[in-house]
Amino acid sequence: MTAVDALNLLVSAVLLAGVYAAMSVGMTIIYGVMKIVNLAHAGFLMLGAYIVFELYTRFWIDPLLGILIEFPVFFLMGIAIHWLMIRRIPQSDTPTLASLLLLFGLWLVLQNLGYLIWGNSDRAILTPRTLSTLQVGPILLPTERLVVFGVAIASLAALELVLRRTWFGRAVRVLMQNSDSGRLVGVNVERTARLAFGVGVAFAGAAGGLLAMLYPFTPDFGGSFLLRAFVIIVLGGLESFAGVAVGALILALVETFSILAIPAGYQPAVSFSLLVLALVVLPEGIAGLWNKRQRWT
Amino acid sequence: MIAPFFDRSSKRSLTSLGPLLLAVALALPGCGKGGKSGNEIRIGVVLPITGREAKPGQYQREGIELAIKQLNDAGGIMVQSKGKKLPIREIFYDDGSDQAKSANLVERAMSADEVTAVIGGYSTALGEAESVMPDRYQTPWITAGAAATHIFSRGYQYIFGALSSTDLLGYTTGDFLGSLVDSGKLKKNLAVALALENTDHGVEYGAGINRWIDEHPGYFHVVFNEKFDLGGTDFSGLLQKVKAAKADIFLVDAHLQDYITMERQYIQSGMHHQMLSYGARGPDADARKALGDATNYIFAGLWWSKKLPYPQAKKFVADYQAFAGHEPDSYYPGPAYDAMRALAAAIERAGTLDRTAIRDALRNLELKDSLLPGQTLHFGKNGQVANPFIIVQNKPGDKSDIVFPKDASTGDAVAPLPR
Amino acid sequence: MEQTAALDMKEDAAAGQPLLARMGSPAGFLVLLLAIAGFPLAQPGPNALRLVFITLVWISASVGWNILGGFAGQVSFGFAVFFGLGAYATALSLNAGMGRLAALLLGAAVSAAASALIGVPTFRLRGPYFAIATIGVSEAVRVVMTNLQFTGGASGYRVAEQGAFSQLLHYYIALAVAAVSIAVSTVLRRSKLGLALAAVREDEDAASDLGVNPFRSKLAAHALAAALTGAAGGVYCGYAAFIHPPGVFGFDISVAILLMPIVGGVGTLWGPVLGAIVYGFVHEELIASFPQFHLLLYGALLILIILFEPGGVMGALDKAVRFARVRSGSGRPS
Repeated sequence: MTAVDALNLLVSAVLLAGVYAAMSVGMTIIYGVMKIVNLAHAGFLMLGAYIVFELYTRFWIDPLLGILIEFPVFFLMGIAIHWLMIRRIPQSDTPTLASLLLLFGLWLVLQNLGYLIWGNSDRAILTPRTLSTLQVGPILLPTERLVVFGVAIASLAALELVLRRTWFGRAVRVLMQNSDSGRLVGVNVERTARLAFGVGVAFAGAAGGLLAMLYPFTPDFGGSFLLRAFVIIVLGGLESFAGVAVGALILALVETFSILAIPAGYQPAVSFSLLVLALVVLPEGIAGLWNKRQRWT
Repeated sequence: MIAPFFDRSSKRSLTSLGPLLLAVALALPGCGKGGKSGNEIRIGVVLPITGREAKPGQYQREGIELAIKQLNDAGGIMVQSKGKKLPIREIFYDDGSDQAKSANLVERAMSADEVTAVIGGYSTALGEAESVMPDRYQTPWITAGAAATHIFSRGYQYIFGALSSTDLLGYTTGDFLGSLVDSGKLKKNLAVALALENTDHGVEYGAGINRWIDEHPGYFHVVFNEKFDLGGTDFSGLLQKVKAAKADIFLVDAHLQDYITMERQYIQSGMHHQMLSYGARGPDADARKALGDATNYIFAGLWWSKKLPYPQAKKFVADYQAFAGHEPDSYYPGPAYDAMRALAAAIERAGTLDRTAIRDALRNLELKDSLLPGQTLHFGKNGQVANPFIIVQNKPGDKSDIVFPKDASTGDAVAPLPR
Repeated sequence: MEQTAALDMKEDAAAGQPLLARMGSPAGFLVLLLAIAGFPLAQPGPNALRLVFITLVWISASVGWNILGGFAGQVSFGFAVFFGLGAYATALSLNAGMGRLAALLLGAAVSAAASALIGVPTFRLRGPYFAIATIGVSEAVRVVMTNLQFTGGASGYRVAEQGAFSQLLHYYIALAVAAVSIAVSTVLRRSKLGLALAAVREDEDAASDLGVNPFRSKLAAHALAAALTGAAGGVYCGYAAFIHPPGVFGFDISVAILLMPIVGGVGTLWGPVLGAIVYGFVHEELIASFPQFHLLLYGALLILIILFEPGGVMGALDKAVRFARVRSGSGRPS
């Protein structure tokens, strides 16, 4: 394999990492603030994909615009779900079985709704950008992948901005550390949690739209991405956003380059083993390692 | 630590209630749709219409139901032992593309619903699971969706397949490419790269191609041969390896989803080969929608195509369009339609609803106006047909042509692929 | 808290219990066993027998999961790995000529051994971290099995038929395994290990302070749970005669196995059994009659249970019984 090929593979992995990061952020927010593992994330990814698809095929709305439209819709959906269901289960500083199962049930429901509304065909979004490629020197940059990467980074940057500059962001960061002390300093835990859930679902929907620009999808679309999101946030540390970026990069690199060494059929096993390894060896993820280093210096 | 989830006081009174409830629950056995009825012929149809294989399953269902409708419109099937024509009643089950459910549902149809025969099993995995039941319940089973030879090599006596083996698909692909070399369109001794999905289908396809290459030295040689897992999101690494192998011809065996994902990434990486195929996928309508011009010149080996020039095939296409409201997609409905017709013919020849007699009639059947390539449907010794495959190549402007074998062709093959 | 549990157990053994309580005793269990054993005599037809068969298989797996998830409080989302390993081990043994009992025992043993391998690294994790890890393990094993040529890989594995097919034989094997599972679960609950597991479930650190070794207890529970689930897989493969990785290692199997005890009443003795019955019958009938809605129904059921009756069916019944008692003025609060 030549240097150019290796470089192209690297670029490919980085572009993939962007998508993966965008896909995992929604789960991270919800977990960080409420200590809830949102299994319905897969369902929202799927809905996000289908809604962008509908907007594109019926109204000729470009997927990028479609994602922008989706964001507030999913935000409201998240708020509604929180109000309807999430607030009724016992909250805790540690994850509960109840939340895990509740959201899992929601995922099943969403999946079935997908089947009922859209049926079982493979759908895909074909835009003029989909098959075109930009060539920068020896490097090939598939246009659509570049666009998705750009949007993913932009949304992560926007999130960072919100976290640093707004009262909501501050409340979120406080709650991610400790909800009791949050209460002590006057953070409205319930309200922040509700908003955070809304934001998490909004990001999930938007990520679904991004994924729809790249891949074909059916109603059980979210499952494999959900597992990848697990790997990423565990690798990165369940409560850190920088960690998500790092985790996404690691997973993307492993997925892309491992095929060179092992038969392609075993590749998913590598990702899953990575997950288990990360959980066992690095329970706090890379971020945990980083924090430990900070404490030492 | 998981927060206390269940109320610990809900314990003792219930350990006592438990067994009582159990006994009550078991007093209600589940019932099937059984019950004696001598005035109709019950045919079980078990296909996926949800899950992975839902699209092809739906098309196969439509093919079967069209045949049933046409038979019933003519009064039904003549059963000598009853002295009259009996209508067909279809008992349909959706197995959700799940192997265990598929087997269960076939068992249910054969045992509780007391069907005369079952048609079903789209995809080899579902077919494999279902194939355990026919001999157990001595009920004929025909699949129009499972092509793996080893289903038919286990010595089962009640199973039949209307699809030629996937192995033959690979072999015919070799035949086709070989014919291009013979006619001068391709050079000799080109390098072939194989990427096969990690399923039965992929394995047999690869075996068929390799067998052809071994039997015809000097034509091609294989430089890359690997399997990939279904439902991948990123084939960059695999495609990178293929690039590194510097092949002239790239042959893939994939499901629709992977066909779309891989072909997109193939185009995006600027790859090109003299010939490109995705196994049995090529002219699928959904692929066209997802890939546009990228599908041009891709060829596929199909069990059947709506473009076959036979009169009975053209009639079928027209009837199907009127019945289902859309055109037949890929090969799916054709063999299913013929499977039902073959079953009807066998029942008529047997003159009785006795399942073993019908099985014997199926064994000796020669359906002369079959839609399948070759125009005759005849089940081989192991129960599987051996009709030839046709090679279809996509042409620009959303068209496609049958390019092999010569007597079924509607256009010329384009080789090598233009850049 | 442990004290109350101990008190409860003693009360059970006391004489003068109302009729219902006596039915929970070994006598009640035996009556039930005889009822199911005698069921085929009523000529219910092969479909009903198949239904009960598959329910018995689910009962074994459900009761097994409950030992780890309910008694010990460690929720695994990856129990398909044991079901699948049990199925494949049993299938390989049957094809190698082993007798059915030996093959089943081997299937259970292989699963138990795997549980130790899995448990040692993962039991360091708590709560959802453990749950997620179990998903990762189960999926990794599924992918490996899909590639392993020796067991047929993606093509699956066929169990050679041993003589004419006898539905009754498989029925009674399933019944035996289910009975053993329930017995094991009952004995375990009242044993020292059972109490230790309850302590670990409530508060692992406190339990450890009291002298319980949580790690060892969890491993023991895991092994028992895995063995029972592996046996269930072995029983299944004998009947289905064909298994392949997505069919026995699939995530949907893991989901089904955990859904049953939750629906029935996690942590109770009969909850998993009830849940398996509900799931077995509902699932079969749903698949046949309303295939487009089954996910919706499970999801909705799960949501409703979590929101309104986390104790599952058993919890709901408990409330009903207590309500009836209070109503009838018998006074004695449970």
